[in-house]
Amino acid sequence: MALLSRVADRLYWGARYVERAEDTARIVRSYSNMIVDLPIDLLPYSWEPLVAIAGSESLFGEKHGEHAVIEFLVADRDNPGSMASSVACARENLRTTREVLPREAWRALNGLQQYVLAEAERAVERRTRDRFLARVIGDSRRLDGELESTMTRAAPYRMWRLGQLIERADMTTRVLGVRAASILQMKSTDRVDDHDEVQWMGVLRSVSALQMYQRATRGPIEGASVVRFLLFYSQFPRSVRGCLDAMRVVLTNLPQPDAVISVLDQTTATVMACEAHAHDGARLDDAMDEVQHAISELDQAIAQRFLAVGT
Amino acid sequence: MDELIDRDGKPRPVAAALMSMLDRLGPEELTELQRVAEIEILTMGITFTVYSDGANLDRTWPFDLIPRVISGDEWSLVERGLIQRLVALNHFIDDVYNERRVIADGVFPLELLTGSANYRAQCRGVHPKFGVWAHISGTDLVRDDDGEMYVLEDNLRVPSGVSYVLENRAVAKRVFAEVFQQQNIRPVDAYTDELNKLLSSLAPDGVAEPQIVVLTPGVFNSAYFEHSFLAQRMGAELVEGADLVVGDDECVYMRTIGGLERVHVIYRRIDDLYLDPEAFRPDSTLGVPGLMRAWKAGNVGIANAPGAGVADDKVVYSWVPDLIRYYLDEEPLIPNVPTYRCMYDDERRFVCQNIGDLVVKPANESGGYGILIGNRATATELADAIDAIEADPRNWVAQPILSLSTVPTIIDGAIEPRHVDLRPFILTGARSYVTAGGLTRVALPKGSLVVNSSQGGGSKDTWILDLPADGGP
Repeated sequence: MALLSRVADRLYWGARYVERAEDTARIVRSYSNMIVDLPIDLLPYSWEPLVAIAGSESLFGEKHGEHAVIEFLVADRDNPGSMASSVACARENLRTTREVLPREAWRALNGLQQYVLAEAERAVERRTRDRFLARVIGDSRRLDGELESTMTRAAPYRMWRLGQLIERADMTTRVLGVRAASILQMKSTDRVDDHDEVQWMGVLRSVSALQMYQRATRGPIEGASVVRFLLFYSQFPRSVRGCLDAMRVVLTNLPQPDAVISVLDQTTATVMACEAHAHDGARLDDAMDEVQHAISELDQAIAQRFLAVGT
Repeated sequence: MDELIDRDGKPRPVAAALMSMLDRLGPEELTELQRVAEIEILTMGITFTVYSDGANLDRTWPFDLIPRVISGDEWSLVERGLIQRLVALNHFIDDVYNERRVIADGVFPLELLTGSANYRAQCRGVHPKFGVWAHISGTDLVRDDDGEMYVLEDNLRVPSGVSYVLENRAVAKRVFAEVFQQQNIRPVDAYTDELNKLLSSLAPDGVAEPQIVVLTPGVFNSAYFEHSFLAQRMGAELVEGADLVVGDDECVYMRTIGGLERVHVIYRRIDDLYLDPEAFRPDSTLGVPGLMRAWKAGNVGIANAPGAGVADDKVVYSWVPDLIRYYLDEEPLIPNVPTYRCMYDDERRFVCQNIGDLVVKPANESGGYGILIGNRATATELADAIDAIEADPRNWVAQPILSLSTVPTIIDGAIEPRHVDLRPFILTGARSYVTAGGLTRVALPKGSLVVNSSQGGGSKDTWILDLPADGGP
């Protein structure tokens, strides 16, 4: 089954945008969930770290406060990384690939886009936020399920998977870089330590990893092991290593993947080199920057090999 | 006249079952069903694009739930008439690009040909397979007050609308499931399969499994939804000009992630002039350089063939009955609307003197643009139209103002008559195929005769209904 390079490009980006919207929903949801469990006076907790995870501090500017942050991450169409912008971009990309997508998948995406654009304001108020976010995650899962269960395993499906996996890996490193690093960097006081577990649970929840982490470790929740789990535990599909390994399988089934696979080898090596920093907040943050840089090189290798139109 | 209701306000026989169901439902429930249909259309992402104020707007497809119903008997005649018309038109196109018998025999004037905006000198001497140029056509039919069906115009370039025929039916079937079960309504779904067969037959000789592509100008085109729809339904690739390249071997290839792959048939939805910058507009970025060379070398089939639009001209239209007689030695089965050709002095004089009672049309516009309806125009508009006609008589025709039949339509929770036309789609290759019905377009503003979706028109499902022989339900 032939796949046009232009269509490959749109599938890859469509998948990235959908994944970005879903992951943002998970992060906002777990953060909202966690923050109600923390005492009001516990500083430096506030909503701004969420903006840092999305990597959009410069755009966010001088605004602050819960409503402004949520509005910015969920509904703001001027923020290209917001959920509303992401699903709109996903739809724009996939509108031009409908001939290769199962019809029901397109329908699911359309439903997701209409819901987000019409109801994004519901995320701003706490009492309606959780339902809104849960629905977005559910709709995105439905889209994924349609593809998983009805799309032929050929190049179009694989390009979709590549986009989804690279975005997922990237989002997990962002959670680690900002959330985990900031917890590790907090000055240890009794007040903070009391709530350590709550915060690490929040980190795990933002990638829906809490239950799987507990089953894998069987011990108390502890910072360094959470970091290791999210980076290296390849059996967990949202761990960085898990995403990279899955990409390797996808790549070997695409034509002439060698150049991309050798970049993937380097990315994997960069991730594995983070082992030493699992305890140290500042170094973890730097290490995650390096991993993100490696992921963006992987992205460029994919673009060069598969997506370049006109070569 | 109304398509579903007779002059005494009683349902016509073909509409009896439908009307009794509509009565049972009542306007309130019907409006609710209409809303369900609209949500369905929204979630299925059925859209069309409108250009307005320099922006492209992706709008939800306007659909009215109450169908237009035509009896199977009447349709069989229409079907034969459409096939007849398209066979004759294809003879004509093949003739004017090759032998020009029709001109030598004095049936068609040469100056009209060479002055036609859609005549392509680059196509002289080309012999497409089966002698067919206009493979896919959309022919607009209207019914006047006398009950007679007329051909209003032939669309032989890149006619659009067929995807909505299929989508309208899909929605109607879901909403009116029982009615479909109880009546013999001819299905429309086979169209894409027929189109696929036709396109396959255009592949170069000896190609067993041709690669078919749909060539679109891109996502900003008003019919992009349809281009995508047809590609999906045929399992064809949807390509843009930049996806294709003509090799040194004069074959067409598409750029895939596995390298270049040969393309055998192109269903192009780009206008001739943008198809190939080497042959036509050099500034076009939508097309594929060298495509005409590949086509002339017989290495790729193109539907519709470049140049087919020469017969899709409102002046040429007025000759179609003569062309049917000339090429087929048959009488036309569906009449033309009487047409005054401003290129002839006497007809132009008549048009200018009676402009208030006529519809004036430019010869080569589509989408309803440039049309002036005499009895609805201001004095200034009429005077401007006369000036335009005098300045370029070849490019104007006029026709009497037809009343266009109506179909009951849901308007703000009530049912009111609205004017409709009908665009069936005709496939011509080694053999012919006509859609069962076609796209019924409806002018939504009260009294309006403009059905184009770009100008506020809506659409309806069209039912070709075979009544049992005893006439009972």
